[in-house]
Amino acid sequence: MDFTNLLITALRSLSKNKARSILTSIGIIIGVSSVIVMIGIGRSAQITVEERVGTYGKNAMEIASFHTLLTEADAENIKKKFPQVQYASIIITKSNVQVNYKDRSTISGMYGVENDYFKMKLWPLTSGRYFTDIEMSTHEKVVVIGATVMRDVFIYEEPVGNIVIINNVPFKVIGVLSELGESFGGKDFDNVVVIPYGAAQRKIIGNNKIDRIYVSVYSDKQMDETVEQIKEYLNRAHMITSDSNEFRITTSKQKLEMAEYISKTLSMLLAGIASISLFVGGVGIMNIMLVSVSERTREIGIRMAIGAKRRDILSQFLIESVTLSGLGGIVGIILGLVIYYLITYIVDWPYIFSVTSILVSFLFACAVGIFFGYYPAKKAADLKPIEALRYE
Amino acid sequence: MNIPIINIENLQKIYKISQEVSVHALKGVTLKVKRGEFVAIMGASGSGKSTFMNILGFLDTPTSGKYILDGIDGTSLNDNQKAEIRNRKIGFVFQGFNLLSRTPAIENVEMPLFYRGGFTHEEMKNRARKLLAMVGLSGREMHHPNELSGGEQQRVAIARALINDPAILLADEPTGNLDTKNTYEIMNVFTTLNKEYNITIIMVTHEPDVAAYADRKVVFKDGMIIDDSPIRKLKKSRK
Repeated sequence: MDFTNLLITALRSLSKNKARSILTSIGIIIGVSSVIVMIGIGRSAQITVEERVGTYGKNAMEIASFHTLLTEADAENIKKKFPQVQYASIIITKSNVQVNYKDRSTISGMYGVENDYFKMKLWPLTSGRYFTDIEMSTHEKVVVIGATVMRDVFIYEEPVGNIVIINNVPFKVIGVLSELGESFGGKDFDNVVVIPYGAAQRKIIGNNKIDRIYVSVYSDKQMDETVEQIKEYLNRAHMITSDSNEFRITTSKQKLEMAEYISKTLSMLLAGIASISLFVGGVGIMNIMLVSVSERTREIGIRMAIGAKRRDILSQFLIESVTLSGLGGIVGIILGLVIYYLITYIVDWPYIFSVTSILVSFLFACAVGIFFGYYPAKKAADLKPIEALRYE
Repeated sequence: MNIPIINIENLQKIYKISQEVSVHALKGVTLKVKRGEFVAIMGASGSGKSTFMNILGFLDTPTSGKYILDGIDGTSLNDNQKAEIRNRKIGFVFQGFNLLSRTPAIENVEMPLFYRGGFTHEEMKNRARKLLAMVGLSGREMHHPNELSGGEQQRVAIARALINDPAILLADEPTGNLDTKNTYEIMNVFTTLNKEYNITIIMVTHEPDVAAYADRKVVFKDGMIIDDSPIRKLKKSRK
């Protein structure tokens, strides 16, 4: 019996039991669509994370301390003493400040920084300018606003030159930042107001504490070495001997690795769920095929009597189960792509169409059909013609 | 033409039920059937006629003895070869019709060609259509078995049995599930096939008036043939 005839036979048998065939495929449909969604989200997330961490700054590190206060001198000395340091900026943050302009207001994140901060993050302006040295040293109340803040409170007005009220303190807008987008966790990078750190300490926070210092080096190769050197320097400068972990330095590479680790873990978790549902789907197919074989014992006997060889019966049942899983796979792929598209649309991630993942999940679905269909098919093929014919 | 299409010598079949108990179903059966003969096989249940038919139909293998069908030695074949012979040399007609349910008549009829292979879809359909016409079922091609009467179903089964031009037609109580009218119809089909198309028919029955359509009567008892005689043709008296 040639393959076309086998395929026709199998399709005819399946179409006799349409409802059952569809229900049997559901397990595979769910399994395959979750594989597609999982692979897609994993890739989108990774790309998003890489893009975002890229904007956080190349070869950058973040210095923070536990008890000891970081000082302006620390930041200055790091810049002076280490020739490999390209940029360094004090960072003072406050997560929720109220920004008012006319009758409109919004809640944003506040960053008190130095000009190096923008250079480090490669964060260009769409209009206006950064801070001047005089504005920095006199703690001038000037602000560079993020794209979201501009949209929220200025709408169509030109922000530069206007005064916004940040936590009841008037600041003059001198620049507008270009758009960075959202973080992996949905945080809006553009919902920020950036002011000179001195102004942040004095006008908004009300103390001289320095939260963190951002440092970037020229070359990737200098990172590890510089981390150690800065740690050593800070310990010496603050006369700390016992606890070498007083200053914590996180590099952008570490952040990237952490983000990758998170997205990989997420992918593996999803892969686990997906493979469980594919396995359950496969067991479903095996179950139905076993029922089908015993229901159709007589049919198998008839087929054998009119000349079906063992191989023909085996192939027929295998093709039936592979057709079930393969069709389930196709439907699952379509469903998965739709769900994946909707998710990327909702969270505004890049949609990555991968032919490889489609092919892999289709072949995997077929493999499930072969694996779980083999035993029932063998059972059918091993029937003795007389006994099968006599079966009631 | 003188070479018998079926040549059976001293055929034995022993079913081993356990170490000690075995059933001697056939105790040395010898039978020759010529091409174009219509043989009725009779006997009480347990007489060995079913075992004999299974061996004739290559569904079962004899324990010992010789079986040659159309020049092929049937005693030393593997399962695949037996399947091929069932497909090419034997047409089966069963008591219970044994059609595939929910499958149109034409698909039932063409099925042996599927297993034979090498035919286009069109060739298979044409051949099946021709045979359905031969058994008087033109226009019923797309009917499913449950839409056909018992007699019509059996005619579909006959068309299926004949589609590969078999050497012999094996009919196992073909009228056992039919009423008088349908029995008469089916027996007429058999007679026509035998007389006009020269098809060799071996038919098991225990109804003497059905056996009367055959040319020769072979009676089994206790695993042996106890009577093998020609049937005198009384003219078809029944209408």
